Order: sequence, then structure tokens, then C-alpha cells
Amino acid sequence: MDRIPILKLGDALLVTIQVDMHDRLAAALEEDLTERIAATGAKGVLIDISSLGIVDSFIGRMLDTVAAVSRMLGADTVVVGMRPAVAITLVELGLELKGVRTALNVERGMALIGRWLEDGDGDERDGPAAGDANDGDGG
Amino acid sequence: MTPVVSGAGWWPILSVPIAVEADVVTARQRARRVAELVGFDAQDQTRIATAVSEIARNAFEHGGRGRAQFALRDAGGDDPPEAQRQRLVVRVSDDGPGFGDLDAVLEGRHRSKAGLGVGLLGAKRLMDGFRVETGAGGSTVELEKALPRRRSRLDREDLGEVVARLARERAVDPLNVLSEQNRELVRSLDELKARQDELARLNQELEDTNRGVVALYAELDARAEQLRQASDLKSRFLSNMSHEFRTPLNSVLALSRLLLDRTDGELSEEQERQVGYIRKSTESLAGLVDDLLDLAKVEAGKLDVRPADFTAAELFGGLRGALKPLRTNEAVALVFEEPPADFPPLSTDEAKVAQVLRNFVSNALKFTPEGEVRVSAAHDRDADRVLFAVADTGIGIAPEDQPRVFEEFAQIENPLQSRAKGTGLGLPLSRRLAELLGGEIALRSEPGRGSVFMLSIPRVFSGVAAVSGAGLAEPPIATGPRDRGACVLVVDDDKAFRYALRQMLNGAGYGGPAHDVVEAADGVEGLRLARAEPRPDAILLDLRMPVLDGYAVLRALAADPLTRGVPVIVATSTAEASGADARLAHARAVLSKDGLSREALVAALRGAIAASRAAAPEGER
Repeated sequence: MDRIPILKLGDALLVTIQVDMHDRLAAALEEDLTERIAATGAKGVLIDISSLGIVDSFIGRMLDTVAAVSRMLGADTVVVGMRPAVAITLVELGLELKGVRTALNVERGMALIGRWLEDGDGDERDGPAAGDANDGDGG
Repeated sequence: MTPVVSGAGWWPILSVPIAVEADVVTARQRARRVAELVGFDAQDQTRIATAVSEIARNAFEHGGRGRAQFALRDAGGDDPPEAQRQRLVVRVSDDGPGFGDLDAVLEGRHRSKAGLGVGLLGAKRLMDGFRVETGAGGSTVELEKALPRRRSRLDREDLGEVVARLARERAVDPLNVLSEQNRELVRSLDELKARQDELARLNQELEDTNRGVVALYAELDARAEQLRQASDLKSRFLSNMSHEFRTPLNSVLALSRLLLDRTDGELSEEQERQVGYIRKSTESLAGLVDDLLDLAKVEAGKLDVRPADFTAAELFGGLRGALKPLRTNEAVALVFEEPPADFPPLSTDEAKVAQVLRNFVSNALKFTPEGEVRVSAAHDRDADRVLFAVADTGIGIAPEDQPRVFEEFAQIENPLQSRAKGTGLGLPLSRRLAELLGGEIALRSEPGRGSVFMLSIPRVFSGVAAVSGAGLAEPPIATGPRDRGACVLVVDDDKAFRYALRQMLNGAGYGGPAHDVVEAADGVEGLRLARAEPRPDAILLDLRMPVLDGYAVLRALAADPLTRGVPVIVATSTAEASGADARLAHARAVLSKDGLSREALVAALRGAIAASRAAAPEGER
């Protein structure tokens, strides 16, 4: 019964995490998402974590893994809506989520995915660092 | 495990058990709330909650079960200012096997797949104080965070309020309630689904059953149809077979009559007796066949009711004469009660009523060794029905046998049975005839005292009576000049019957006209002879013949101008030959072969010939 819904929006998958996930739920999401990417051939994945007050090492690593796996399946992942406190805590925790692209909010995340889709298989993914995440109006 | 408590105050706030995975979530949420309530800012709340999450997960993953205790440590007043700050302490303990190489973990050299290293190290980084005690009996991790400086000190009362608030919130944690409701809903949905499945299954089962019932009905219908066909077949068989029997019987009857009439010379006394026996036996056999045929006809619905007006007195008068010969026992009186003078006339089939009564009487005479057989009639004014009763003083019928006497071929064992001959068909036939007339038969009997057979019928027959055919009516006997001998063509495949007819028509020794008789054994031959010179004056035609049957011959005769004027008399034993049959319209008369007498034949011939001569403008002959 406990599953995080995954919506398909054109060529992108949209995941909005609205509950504090226990570990198994997080693992299930990782699995579901991978399956859906494979099934739909989605090119982009947007994960909205704006409702999450806590992202601990487990959830952080889940996001990291999802990003890595989707990239291997031909989809780029962007995590949006991370709260500042969560971001700071993650850094202090020693998790920098180097493989995950971030954006400030859903709008920018979708714009980012749109750009990737236009560019096709651009080389952008070689530099997946914080560039896009931080180009907004300061977080 | 030594509680890490300094001499200062240790004010417990909350304890959260860690037994299942979801408890890790609960622990970090509680941690966040506790941190908020004791005054930490959002950033620290997140740090504390994250650290608690890491350590609680550790406890769950490695220790299996444990708990997280939240408390406030209040240093004593004599401590240095920095140390005097109040601290939130979270102590997470488990019963697990311990961490093993703790140093390696803490130095970041250890990496487990559950992220243990990161967890412990990270938590340590997020908090101000971090202590671990681990051993074979379990581990305790104590996390500490100093309350913000700007926050005023919390006294025990403040803390009491925090504790009370937490307790309240736990009771009505909306998320918990929601997820509980959610689970409830899912359960209900599952139940609903199960019930629906059950319903669908039941429905399916019902449908199957229904299909079975429908199939069963179809089968029953088929069976009923088969039975009907079998019954039909039986009736047809009986009817046809009876005809087959009847044809030779008629010949025997006619020939024996010729012999007895001395048509072919005198008979010796012995010969006469023998021929008499032949005739008697043949008559009884014919009677048996008649009964069978009647029964078959009734069953096949072929027997017509011909209503006519008559009175009970007339009926009794006729019966009295006809039944007298049946009374062979002098010790039995046959009494017909005179119907009252105001007895209303009947309008029904007299012949059938008479047949039923004849059966009753002959039956009664058979089983009455002495006494009387009394026939009476009564009129029921209210129902306008007539009740005929035949009462005897005979041996009677036991109650258990009473229903059986109306069954075909049933005969009850009794001392008189061997003496009384019968077909066993009389009473069943009577019952069918009564039904045909819209009435019924009843029986009242007592063994040793006698029986009363009753026939109750409507006074006026109201059923759909078949129109009696004009062709069957006896032709009027011509009153014209005496016939000279006429030429008669007999068309019949039955040689014996042709012979009998010829004997009748030759009429030697009768004083009547001697007719010329031409014979044809089948329809084709018959047609040829009918057109040949000399043209016959009349044609006697059988209906059932091989090659060309009587109907076809009749049609051909009617169509040919040469033969159209020749009167045709149909002589047949075929049951379906009725005057109502349009195919027989051309026939001048239809005679039944049963009991055909010379007189009737001659009369019919004379009438037909006279009528055709009258119709023809100038007699050719």
C-alpha cells in the first residue's frame, strides 16, 4: 500500500515525496523509479523533496543511486526543493550528492529537463556539478 | 552500561521504542519536535533529527531493537559558564552484538552497506557531544547538543509542559491518524474486493446452474417430444394394423355369409355348423379389431362426434333389441327402466352412447351369475347432464382393482373370468368415448354385492363436432324402375374381397338383377377398364391400393369427360375415409367394408346408378 506515486509528464517522470519515508519505502521508490524509466523510456526524472524536513544518509544515498542508475538508463535526474537546512545538514553529514543535479524548485527543474531534452544527448552530463542548482535567486 | 550522568540534573523528556522500521521515522520526527520545543532553531532541529535518524537506524539494523531516550541535562550551578548551558541529550541504546571495531568506524575507515560509517561519523559531526559505549550485551550512543545561548533556561515546570505537549501530540498525531485511516480504508477496500469476487463467483455459479436448468428443460422437452412421437406411432400402428386385419376378416365374413345363404348350393348340416363357427369366430375377431381400431382412433383424435337428437326411450328401445342375444343366462334379468315422460331429448352422438352402454351391459352380464342387470337414465337439471347407470348384482370388483378395469387389456382375476371372454378393451374404450362426448365414467362396486357403472354426459353435446359428411350419408334408395343388370367395375387389390363382391352382385338365387362384374386389381388397370367399352354403369373403388391409390383414381375419373358421369362408390376399410374428405367429393357414396351386406351394397348401387341416369340428359344405356 505504501508507495510513492510516480507521474509521467511527457518524456519526464515526476516524483513528489510528501511523506517522511522509512527506509523500505525509500528503497521501494528507488526500485519503482528504475522500472518506470525502463518501461517508459523517460529522458528526465524530477524528484521534488520540498516536503522533506529531514534527509539522512540513507535517503541521500537513495537519491544518489537513483540519479546514477537513471543516467545509465538514459535519463537525467534533477532533485528540486531541497530545504536549506537539509542541504547544510547533508554537507555536514559528509554527503554532497555529487552525482545529483539539483534545482531550486519544480519550475526550474522542469526547465532544466526541457533543455536537456532539446539538446538531445548533449555532453552536459559530464559536468553534473552544482552549476544549474545554484544559478537561481540564491538559496 | 553506566548511565552517563554527571552529578547535575537529568530531566527525562521522552522515550521512543525502536522495534520496527517505521520507528526510525518516528524517532527522528520526535527528535525534531523535541528540539523545536526546547528552543533549537530550524537548522539545529534538522541536524538533531538527522543525527537521531542515523543512530536509530543503526540500532534497528544492528541491534534489532532498542529505544531512544530524550532528556535535558542541567549542569550544576558551580560549573563554568559554558558548561552551565543546558543540553539536550538523546541516548539510543540497543541489545545488539556491539559495533566491533569501533575505532575503525569512527576514523572513517569502515564502510558498511547500510551506511553505518557515514551514519556514526556524520551524527558525531552534527552534534556537540557524542559518546559510544559498546559491548557484547548491546550498545549505547549518547548524542548531546547544547541549547542555544539566547534561550532562557528551562526550569522543570517548562519541561513538564513540553512533556505534556509531546504526550498530547502523540495521541493525536495527524499523520498517524491519517495513515491509520488509510490502512483501514485499504483493508475495507480489500474486503470489498473480496466480497465482490465472492459475488462474481456466486453469480458465475448461478449462471452455470441456470445453464444446467435450461439444458435440463431442453432435454425434458426432447423427451416429451419423443414420448409423443412414440405414442403417435403406436396409435398409427394400431390403426393401420387394424385395417390390415380387417380386410381379410371382411372377406371371410362376406364369404361365410354367401355360404350360409346357400349362394353356392346347399350345405350339409355339418358344413353349416362349421361355417357358422367360422362366421362366429370371425365376428368376434372383427369385434376385437373394431375395439382396437376405435381406441386407436380416439387416441389419434380421428373419431368424430356426430350429434343428433334422440330420446332416452328410443335409445333404450334400440339397446334392448341389440342386447337381448347377449343374455345367455336365464337366471339374469336384463331390465331397462322406462325413462320418465318429461325426460328431455338428448342431442349428442347416439351411436357412441349406445356403444358405451352396450359395453357396460355386456360386461355386467358377463360377471353376474344370477340376479339382474338394470339400466336406467336420470337427468340432472342443474348441470343439464344425463346420467346412465348399469347396475348389476354380480361378483363386484375389489376396491384396489377398480382403477385397473379402465386400463387397456386389464382383466381382473375372478372365478368367472375363464367363462367370460373379453378383449379387455371395452371399458377403456368406453371411458375414451365418454371423454369424447364431454362426459365421464364412474364405477361403484362392492365385491359380492355387485357393481354400478355410470356414464355421465352433457345432455347437449357442445364440443367441436366434426361436420358429418354428405358422402357418408346413406344414398336414398331409388324408387325408379327395377334395374336390369348393370355393369359394375370393381377396383380392389384384395382378390378375396373382389370375389365376395362378385358373388354378392351376381346375385344368383336372389331374384335381384344379375350384375356384370368387371374386376381390376389396381388403379391403373381400373382406369383403363373404366374408359374401355362397354363403359361400366358404376365403379366400386377401394382406396388403399398399390401403384395408384383410390384417391388418384377418383381424381382421374373426375377429370376425364368419358368417365365423369360414371357413379363411383368407395368401399374401404380405411379409417380416414370420411365424407368430410374433399378428395372424396366425386364419390357418390362411401361404404365401409366392415359388415358390408349384400342389401346395403345393392341399395347403394341402385341409388347411384339411378341418380346418375337421372342426371344424364338421355340415358346412353
